[in-house]
Amino acid sequence: MAYAIEIDHLAFAWQGGQLTLDIPHWQVETGESVLLRGPSGSGKSTLLSLLAGINVAQQGNVSLLDQSLSNLSGRKRDRFRANHIGYIFQQFNLLPYLSALDNVLLATQFSPKRRQRVAESGQSAEQLAIQYLKRLGLSASQQQQAAANLSVGQQQRVAAARALLGAPELLIADEPTSALDSDRRDDFIKLLLELSEQNNTTVLFVTHDASLGQYFNRHVELSDINRAAGGSPHA
Amino acid sequence: MLKLAIKSLANRKTSALLTVIAIAVSVALLLAVERVKEQVQANFANTVSGTDLIVGPRSGDVQLLLASVFHIGALNNSMSWQSYEKLSQNRQVEWSVPISLGDSVSGMPVVATTAGYFQHFKYANQQPLKLQHGEWFNHSEQAVLGADAAEKLDFRVGDQLIIAHGTGGISFSQHSGHPIDVVGVLKRTGTPVDQSIYVDLKTLEDIHGGETASEAEEHAHEHTGHDEHADHHHPTSAISAALVGLKSRQMALFMQRDINTADGEPLTALMPGQTLQQLWKTLRVFEQALNGISAIVVIIGLLGMLTILLASLRERSREMAVLRAVGAGPGTLFTLLVTEAVLLTIIATASGLALLYILQISLAGVIQQQTGLLFALQWPTAAEWWRMLFVVVAGFLMSLVPAWRAYRQSLADGLTVKV
Repeated sequence: MAYAIEIDHLAFAWQGGQLTLDIPHWQVETGESVLLRGPSGSGKSTLLSLLAGINVAQQGNVSLLDQSLSNLSGRKRDRFRANHIGYIFQQFNLLPYLSALDNVLLATQFSPKRRQRVAESGQSAEQLAIQYLKRLGLSASQQQQAAANLSVGQQQRVAAARALLGAPELLIADEPTSALDSDRRDDFIKLLLELSEQNNTTVLFVTHDASLGQYFNRHVELSDINRAAGGSPHA
Repeated sequence: MLKLAIKSLANRKTSALLTVIAIAVSVALLLAVERVKEQVQANFANTVSGTDLIVGPRSGDVQLLLASVFHIGALNNSMSWQSYEKLSQNRQVEWSVPISLGDSVSGMPVVATTAGYFQHFKYANQQPLKLQHGEWFNHSEQAVLGADAAEKLDFRVGDQLIIAHGTGGISFSQHSGHPIDVVGVLKRTGTPVDQSIYVDLKTLEDIHGGETASEAEEHAHEHTGHDEHADHHHPTSAISAALVGLKSRQMALFMQRDINTADGEPLTALMPGQTLQQLWKTLRVFEQALNGISAIVVIIGLLGMLTILLASLRERSREMAVLRAVGAGPGTLFTLLVTEAVLLTIIATASGLALLYILQISLAGVIQQQTGLLFALQWPTAAEWWRMLFVVVAGFLMSLVPAWRAYRQSLADGLTVKV
């Protein structure tokens, strides 16, 4: 059985601090959609930075799609992330001066693997991006607007389209709904999961909000898998 | 990548525009120094062609050339008519034209010569002088005007002019007893010929010798060196210099040596091209100083760009993080910043070149009126291309600094933005 995420005997501490993460074993199956919940300061951000390959665990192993991240060099981790993981950030991280459409297209600009998958779909990246944005509710004129002029909700949908373009195997979302009211938040999550399912994309949704659990296959509390008591140094 | 760089720059229009302006102005300056030098040299070189030797009283080569052809400065001595006659009868000499200087009309130099001047004097690429209006003078009390002289003094064919003694703008001794008829105006040549007024040698002699009694008295103290008027077979007793054409150009060097070392009246002979080279050589120090200064100005412009790029890195840490998050490696960010800086430099250099042409077109008229120099519009020369390349390469090298900083910063910050 292939796992999208597999964590083994992971231990991580920020420099000079106490142990932030101590996860004996945890895995996410391919195709699953998982909500990972924890209060702020529980080590969510640290775990995400390990999954994204920005930081490397001092002990143990983190594997994504059967690829162990600790065996990869920094540059290869960058490439692996660009090719296989769609990432939606808490602050959406759009380039303010690019149009919504160009922001989405950035996803394929630096990833040959995503370009390839787009090509296999028989459509151009631009056509696909337009489709995604349309489904996420951005009109043609909104798609051409600079990201800076879009509302928070619109920016978030652009970020989602970017994460999904080129059908990455794994989608990681870090509190993307914290700036939305509850109606819009629920709509957004449903749409996100629907699109992910079409692409066979595994979803890991990280939040502090337990009420979203109903939409996901599985709801996990970080405190149940993490034995470390201490939080991140930012807490 | 290029598209991304352009859009990112467009997002920071104001600082990008200021950078471009600063560099463009410095590039224009750098190119202007080269262009002025090159055009001045071309103008000077264009002024005399077809003249193999210039012979005059003993003086420095450069002084003689500048005074006789360019009407810059003056000659302290004169050359006797006898020496001129002897020179013109030399068997190597194909033609010779005497010229006598020292008078003026409202500051425009008067060149007293013979009809041979119009026949033998050539400028630029062996071009003869041509008349715009009227005809050549054929006896004394007639004058032919250069194009600028006619325009500035507002003289037309048929007008009369009064020659003043001396070359200053205002002369207290006007030869008002001898009005001269304007019989011709020359076509524009873009050389000092345009500034000059041509009269017959005899005219000058007449007005200096045959003045009314009162004028003669006035001039007595000024003309002490000129009173050998006894010999009336000669058009004049002394001249300023002679332009000489030889039967064979190859003989110029020998003739020059012969004249410079001959017994009798001490004379100087020079080859115009060689003397110009000598002049440029003496001016090279100034040229290099100007080049040095303009190069420093360019570097200051580029340092301004460096400052702006470095300062922008802070506010762009978010942009960098986003690019990293979508898979751009630190190397890509490095390339992005270099592309951006090189793009800025190229735009600035092109604008600098455009600015140079705009200045040249708009100032050409003023420059010509003030100095008589005709600045030709032309494609950038090889030297100018090299200078532009220097600027772009320097811009590229400078961009490595912010690019390296961005590289390091993106490695340290990762994907998170530290606000």
